[in-house]
Amino acid sequence: MSMMHASGVNDAAGAAVVPPTVSLMRWVLVATLPGIATMSYFFGLGVISNVLLAAALGVALEAAVLRLRKRPIRKTLDDSSALLTGVLLGVSLPPASPWWLIGVGMIAAIVVGKQLYGGLGHNPFNPAMVGYALLLVSFPTYMTLWAPPQELISSGLWAQITGTMPTAQLDSLSGATPLDAFKHKGEAILASEFWATNPLPDGTLSAWRWVALAWLAGGGLLLVKRVISWHIPVAMLGSVLILATLFYLSDPSHFASPIFHLLTGATLFGALFIATDPVSAATSRRGKLIYGAGIGALVIIIRTFGGYPDAVAFAVLLMNLCVPLLDLYSVPRPTGHPKSTRGEQP
Amino acid sequence: MSSAYDFPGGIHPPERKQRSNQVALMEAPLPSRVVLLLQQHSGQPATPCVAPGDRVKVGSLVAKREGMISSDLHATISGTVGEVSATQIVIESDGKDEWQRLPSLDWQQADPAALLARLNESGIVGLGGAGFPTHIKARVVERHAIHTLVVNAAECEPYITADDLTLRHYTNEVLEGAQIIAKLCGAQQIVIGIEDNKPEAIQALERALQHALPDSQPLAVELMVIPTRYPSGGERQLIKKLLDLNVPSGGLPADVGVLCHNPGTLLAILHAVRDGQPLVSRIVTLTGEAIAQPGNRWVRLGTSVKELLEHAGLKPSELNQVIQGGPMMGTPLLTLDTPVTKLTNCLIAATIDELPPPPAESPCIRCGECESVCPVALLPQQLHWYARVKDDAKLERYHLFDCIECGACSYVCPSHIPLVVDYHEAKSRIRLQRIEAAKAEYAKHRFEFRQARLAREEAEKQARKEARKSQQRRTPTNAAASSEKIDLRGLRIAHAAAKASVKKAEKTLARVAQEDPKQSLDDLEMQLATAQENLKAAESQLAQAKEQQAATAPSQNEDSP
Repeated sequence: MSMMHASGVNDAAGAAVVPPTVSLMRWVLVATLPGIATMSYFFGLGVISNVLLAAALGVALEAAVLRLRKRPIRKTLDDSSALLTGVLLGVSLPPASPWWLIGVGMIAAIVVGKQLYGGLGHNPFNPAMVGYALLLVSFPTYMTLWAPPQELISSGLWAQITGTMPTAQLDSLSGATPLDAFKHKGEAILASEFWATNPLPDGTLSAWRWVALAWLAGGGLLLVKRVISWHIPVAMLGSVLILATLFYLSDPSHFASPIFHLLTGATLFGALFIATDPVSAATSRRGKLIYGAGIGALVIIIRTFGGYPDAVAFAVLLMNLCVPLLDLYSVPRPTGHPKSTRGEQP
Repeated sequence: MSSAYDFPGGIHPPERKQRSNQVALMEAPLPSRVVLLLQQHSGQPATPCVAPGDRVKVGSLVAKREGMISSDLHATISGTVGEVSATQIVIESDGKDEWQRLPSLDWQQADPAALLARLNESGIVGLGGAGFPTHIKARVVERHAIHTLVVNAAECEPYITADDLTLRHYTNEVLEGAQIIAKLCGAQQIVIGIEDNKPEAIQALERALQHALPDSQPLAVELMVIPTRYPSGGERQLIKKLLDLNVPSGGLPADVGVLCHNPGTLLAILHAVRDGQPLVSRIVTLTGEAIAQPGNRWVRLGTSVKELLEHAGLKPSELNQVIQGGPMMGTPLLTLDTPVTKLTNCLIAATIDELPPPPAESPCIRCGECESVCPVALLPQQLHWYARVKDDAKLERYHLFDCIECGACSYVCPSHIPLVVDYHEAKSRIRLQRIEAAKAEYAKHRFEFRQARLAREEAEKQARKEARKSQQRRTPTNAAASSEKIDLRGLRIAHAAAKASVKKAEKTLARVAQEDPKQSLDDLEMQLATAQENLKAAESQLAQAKEQQAATAPSQNEDSP
């Protein structure tokens, strides 16, 4: 039985092989650095404090549950998956979120979303998105207001510790994200008129674009290192672009442009870091393509017609729900089986 | 020519063939003692036909084929038979190395039946690893039209270079062996599939094919060089790659008109036919960092692995494990006190740095890498889930039995899950369950066999009695003869039916044995034996009836005129 292992040898063809699971998660952590750095450049240190707090809570909660479940703690924590969940939730929250908000989110993510299902490899839903979605529906005021770029004052960190909202963020629309602003522009105003009013604080739109590109850079690293495969990101971004283009062409005065959809909100971050979580994604290549395309479609549909400005978390969770079905119906035809059995479900 | 077709998946593990393919082929020293395992081929173990103390020469038959899927076994050194047990025969050498060969056969002139008989009595089995009896494989032509003989020289596993060296040293012999098999199975072309990492063998083949005389190579041979990618040497993968034919799931290459043979087997076939030399030795790759003189050796079957490796300069302090076969599909040897068999193509004496134990297993994160390398396009991680929870229905629906256990999935798994071990265990478990489920059926078959044997004995007894009777009475009494209406026609039909059912049982057995070499064949062998008993009974009844008729016919003739 196979005595050779890719991790113990160098691939003869010189091609990259998939890194071991333990380092897989570490690669994802490394790949989040450009995104985190860019975000904290534009939105202040509150991003980093979010990430640190969430990651620490993630590890602590995972260790606590592992102890209750009488599972090996050190060995399991070594896979860094709890750390990663913390980082991913941390960057999704508004900078300098109150500590209890992060705590509630991480409990939902690690305890409910992951460990209650059996830990790494057994969770049907993306844990970070479970936490995020819970927070979004439970504490919408805290979740939808982002500090305008470069305006986070040092009192923000204090607010995080005391558990209140940073005062700067209470200043009505000033803290909205571009998606949020566009969502609430109202039916009466045309898109061109809306943008002409300069609805966002200076630099907001470009800040979000830079952040999106930073995520793209990190995702590129993951693709090159073969930590993730291209199937899900390409399918998701493809369906976002196609649907957004269709809507935009049908009525450019009401619908946002495809570039706007691609470069604001969590589209790129979601496509490269969230939807690619292998545990909660479909397994076969065909399944992955359908899964990614489904997320992309849901993102556009919810952003355009739904009640929330962004939709990556809901889209991912909804498609997570479909994974068992996708896995059932996307079984590849093994070699030597006649074509007619293709539609046969296993 | 290279091929445009492809099989899915595949991996590129480090080849590590240089260690053994840079050294010339040598003879291993003659062992002073050999241990011949009775089971060194697929199917039933052979039955010893020598007793302790018997003198044997190299090539003397020491154990006979038992049942249909089995193989004869020959002494591999000259000397005295020592211990004969239920599992092995020991021969102590007299140091003389005296041979006992069969007469040479001219394969171009010889009758196919004579060639088949020669393969059978030479104990030839597939030397690539499965050990399937070659004469049974050659008889496939009785049931399938074969258009292509594929010479599987891909040798895709790392480390192994036995086929490479065989081709370099015995190019013409292998090609001639291929012609013999092609003639036997009526193939119209021979295709040699070889990976591009064996330039010397490829060159040797090209030269030999250019200079081949038309009468030594009557059939066209095509050399196809394919890119190195594991597991291109898998039978199905190679056939797909070379000929773009898909061997159906659960089927055989013969189902698409193809027969596959390994170069080593073809060489053994030629030796058996041309030189009358039974299978007593084979080429074994000795390699790994823990031996000082790696290389390929001609080794007498039954030679101790330990002696062989020690002669090749085994460094016990550096040795971590010895693997029989390749690092992907081979098995680690639990003890070195084990003999070389017909199936030993490679022995890797590995250090711990060379083939380190796999890192600790972590949970499956469903990354799907295993799926992208699976050469059968299965979903290994789904199989993994179902194997761990023993969901056999799901396992079969996800085509567990299509898995060729190549180990590509285990190789790439980032969580270091020993996937193939899981599949292997699941398969064994399901096979056992099938046997359990069919127990009543098997009991019925055993009962039928007993009935058939008793009936045959009765029929033979009857025949002897009749023969005695007819000798006693010179002229048969007319009354007795005429009252017993002899139903010759009915007996002929029964005889033909019995013959057909033997054929059918043989066909089923040959097919099942080749499809899944690990399956237990006891029940099918039993059914074949039953059919054979029935045939014997029918034969003796028919012979008896014919005799009676011959005896009564003249008397009737006397009456009628």
